[in-house]
Amino acid sequence: MRDIRPSGRRDNTRGERKYGLFQVISPSRSAKTGLPLWLLGLGVDRLRTDMSRLLALLFHQGVLDEQFLQLQQLQDGSCPNFVSEVINIYFHESEKLLRNLRGLLSDREFSDYKKMGIHLNQFMGSSSSIGAKRVRNVCVAFRAASEQNNRAGCLRALELLEHEYCYLKNKLHEFFQIEQQRVLAAGVRYPIQN
Amino acid sequence: MATMQKMPQSSLGAGSSNNGTCKGGEVVVPDQFPAGLRVLVVDDDTTCLRIIEQMLRRCLYNVTTSSQATAALKLLRDKKGCFDVVLSDVHMPDMDGFKLLERVGLEMDLPVIMMSADGRTSAVMRGIRHGACDYLIKPIREEELKNIWQHVVRKKWNESKEHENSGSLEDGDRNKRGGEDIDYSSSVNEVAEGVLKSQKKRRESKEDEEGEIENDDPSSSKKPRVVWSVELHQQFVSAVNQLGIDKAVPKRILELMNVPGLTRENVASHLQKFRLYLKRLSGVAQQPGGIPNSFCGPVDSNLKLGSLGRFDIQALAASGQIPPQTLAVLQAELLGRPAGGLLLPTMDQPALLQASLQGPKCVSVDHGVAFGQPLMKCQPGMSRQFPQSVMSAEDVNSGFGAWPSNNLGLKGASSSLAGLSTQNSNAVMNILQQQQQQQQQQPILSEPGHSINVQPSCLVAPSRSATTFPSGNNPASINQANNYNRSAIIDYSLLSPQSSNSSQGVALVLDRDPKTTGVLSGYSAPNSVSPPASSGSANVDNVSNRQIQNSSIPFTATRQLTGFSPNASDIRSSYGPRSGNMLDQGPLRDLGFVGKGTSIPSRFAVDDPELAAANLSSGKFYGENSGNRVKLEPNLDFVNNDKVNPPVMQQFSPNDLMSVFSE
Repeated sequence: MRDIRPSGRRDNTRGERKYGLFQVISPSRSAKTGLPLWLLGLGVDRLRTDMSRLLALLFHQGVLDEQFLQLQQLQDGSCPNFVSEVINIYFHESEKLLRNLRGLLSDREFSDYKKMGIHLNQFMGSSSSIGAKRVRNVCVAFRAASEQNNRAGCLRALELLEHEYCYLKNKLHEFFQIEQQRVLAAGVRYPIQN
Repeated sequence: MATMQKMPQSSLGAGSSNNGTCKGGEVVVPDQFPAGLRVLVVDDDTTCLRIIEQMLRRCLYNVTTSSQATAALKLLRDKKGCFDVVLSDVHMPDMDGFKLLERVGLEMDLPVIMMSADGRTSAVMRGIRHGACDYLIKPIREEELKNIWQHVVRKKWNESKEHENSGSLEDGDRNKRGGEDIDYSSSVNEVAEGVLKSQKKRRESKEDEEGEIENDDPSSSKKPRVVWSVELHQQFVSAVNQLGIDKAVPKRILELMNVPGLTRENVASHLQKFRLYLKRLSGVAQQPGGIPNSFCGPVDSNLKLGSLGRFDIQALAASGQIPPQTLAVLQAELLGRPAGGLLLPTMDQPALLQASLQGPKCVSVDHGVAFGQPLMKCQPGMSRQFPQSVMSAEDVNSGFGAWPSNNLGLKGASSSLAGLSTQNSNAVMNILQQQQQQQQQQPILSEPGHSINVQPSCLVAPSRSATTFPSGNNPASINQANNYNRSAIIDYSLLSPQSSNSSQGVALVLDRDPKTTGVLSGYSAPNSVSPPASSGSANVDNVSNRQIQNSSIPFTATRQLTGFSPNASDIRSSYGPRSGNMLDQGPLRDLGFVGKGTSIPSRFAVDDPELAAANLSSGKFYGENSGNRVKLEPNLDFVNNDKVNPPVMQQFSPNDLMSVFSE
């Protein structure tokens, strides 16, 4: 089962980006003053709109599901950075899992499908827990192939999985960046701001 | 809800002490229960661990996390009694989740909830078989975590009930079991092991051993069980009356009864149950509203009484005075009492229902088979036993049918049943009352109970409990019948014709329900009507009279069971000639249970029509709203659903259940 995505794996990455902590990349700058918009305090509403739009897009595409909303609801005063914290952990763990899976399948004499199933199971669990629906669905297909000891199918599924994961990661990065800017912008007080 | 809140606290406190190391002082149960529940989460997936931790904190639980199963086990061992429930992932690198589950269940006897991303039926079934209290499928929602306290409460209640049962031996029957605490914990562990490991017929025997006071130590070889037939029980009761309830000692009773082959131990354990039953009846009478008290009080006797309740109900049903629904409710109540008895009742019910449906003919045991439970073997015997009156019993059983599935590996399953039983009992009582008023005839209920003799060995156990309290004079005896262990329930199925049996069965199941309030009300009613009942001095005649009245009284129950009036009439006709002796047992038993399991009646009421139509033999017990998801805790769903009378049919095919048990 191959999701038809003509472009390569990295087509949806925005340039070279580190998959680390969120970085503010290409902040919008005002033409006149050259200052970032958030500093001007003008971008709060726009940033909020951008965030909502991005989320709506991701929901529409099926990349995220309502579990992500649950995650957002868990964030409260006692844990203000909960969502970003969890997503970070997810990225960290997922990359480990993907590396393991890739390593297992690269081995010519690979036969330990059971081990692969365990990795997959964990990946599936964490992905579904944060609401990464598409990633999870690919994992399900991957698991089916692995249970049939279908190496070729597993390889295809792994590629698809990596692709979906990258897309998700990029989008979530973007999301958190906007969020970061919004928080900063909201903290800036200008007399002209409503 | 207030009641529930109180109960869990006390049970938590009791539970912690039961668990051993943490005595009451250590455990602080906050007022806003279940806040402060101490949860240990084990998952190698850090993402999920963090998410669940946050969710649990939002539920105001006290959370400890660990990503290593071995570390978690060590923590549990080092700090025994400092945790209430364990959440564990199934697939972990250092230790299999199920292994951890077994260890925790054996060593610390804590409820363990499994989690996994794998939500396939086979995986969930595996979890159930290993004895997990519940199986959550990732992604886990906060609402699911909010409810995990129920497993803690249920487990503690079950344990405390068993302990009380064990401890209530008055005539030193316990000597056989040796030290109380040790035995209790071992028997609890036994149950745990039995549940965790093999839900097969072994379970039956284990439960029998567990619940039956008369039974020998689990380790000892099984003696042939004494079947307390109606006649035998009446002899017993008359002997007791002769001696005076206060002065009745097993030795003298044995002499008076002059029954060859009866041992002092048999009499002693039977007497103990009888006393519990009486106590319960009198307790109910005194505290009409004091459900918690009565609930807690006769906890120990619940098991026994449960079985009695069944019989009573059955007897009543048999006499045609109890509509099937009522009977079901009563049975549910009875069955609900003993934790272990859950399995049994389910079996009985189908058989019972069938019996009632078929009228004078014996209830086909096939229904029992449908439940796919150990009781299945009893079926052949059952068919003999189930006259039409069984119907109500069956109704109850059917209601329990859903529970048996819950019982799979579930120690705490009974709690849910208990809830049902409360409701059911109320409903049943109503129906019974109505019917009785119509008929003015003593139901033959007691009769069914007596037929216990016939059962196969597995059934025997309950017979003792059930049949013996016919004259009940004491509503308390019903309670005892309820307590008559799960094994009693099995018997009930066979004995379904005997109301006494059925009532007991019902009582067994219904025990656990926090909604004991209903039960108490049921009890009080009879007492008011027949004052001599609680005094225990009533003879059989009085008892029988009272029983009619009693049965009518409890029928002030809240629910109105709909449905089986046609069946009731069938029962009536078939039991017409039998109205004599068994009446005593029936109403009293029923009364005992009425208080207990109010929740069931509604359920059964709903189910009964379905069951009747649905051809019980097909093995469908409840229609459960939750569908086919094999979760261990559907019980609670049932309890909750009672109120709304949802179709409680769990779509467990007999094969599923069978396979579960056979593994």
